[in-house]
Amino acid sequence: MSTQLWALAVVGVVVLAAACLEIFRARRARVKTLGVNAAPASDPYILYFTGEGCTVCRTHQEPALAKLGAVRIDKVDAVADRTLADRFNVYTLPTTVVMSREGHALHVNYGYATAPKLERQLAEARGAGLQAATA
Amino acid sequence: MATQVVDHSALKVNQTGIIATVLVSFIGSAFYRPFLVLIPLLAIVLLVGTFAPQYALFKQLYFKVLKPRGIVKPRPVQDRPEPHNFAQGLGGVFLAVASAFLLPVPVIGLALALLVAVLAFVNLAFGYCLGCQIYFQLGKRGLIRAS
Repeated sequence: MSTQLWALAVVGVVVLAAACLEIFRARRARVKTLGVNAAPASDPYILYFTGEGCTVCRTHQEPALAKLGAVRIDKVDAVADRTLADRFNVYTLPTTVVMSREGHALHVNYGYATAPKLERQLAEARGAGLQAATA
Repeated sequence: MATQVVDHSALKVNQTGIIATVLVSFIGSAFYRPFLVLIPLLAIVLLVGTFAPQYALFKQLYFKVLKPRGIVKPRPVQDRPEPHNFAQGLGGVFLAVASAFLLPVPVIGLALALLVAVLAFVNLAFGYCLGCQIYFQLGKRGLIRAS
């Protein structure tokens, strides 16, 4: 029985370490990505990094993006367009980046992002745009 | 490479089979050591299923028994089977390594097998497939042809 308990403890430590590493990695990638520039647009838009092998993109992310309504979504194949994917530090799929109308990255979501979360980020991006326009 | 229809219920049954087998082996071996033999057997099942999908035990259980009897409903999704096969193969390799450790250092062997079960559970419950992410990273680096 003690062998099983030790094995359980080892797995617990590995899972905990992996979770910490993932949080650190996402935070570092987000810091590096915020403010990165892409093409300006008339309204905030979303850069959506996906790939043919990304199942969550099809089963979760794309239905969530479809709920956003009339928002411009630029779909990018992260494997085919490696330069753009590297610029936005895409290390996991799906990745969504909310871009301001000036073309700055405002919010970066590594992994699946829900529709309400994206709506909130888009609303913030629109608000930031209005503030900039009135200032 | 074009996508095709992948029945995600078959993948879910496969993941459930992996979790159940590892758990039976893990808990059972605490009382009766020969239960450990399930881990090398599972490694063989996963590796054979990776290279010859028609012999993938859990998927065949789904296609031949569970689906025709309506026990598990099919869930076809436009997808690519390669990342899932890669993930299954990776699981098989990890279990093969675990098997090699089971007699000399059982803690490491059991821990590796449990890790495979944890990853299968994460995929089953949350849809996060670590093997598929590794497949994507290898494809991005041009080490395998991912698209």
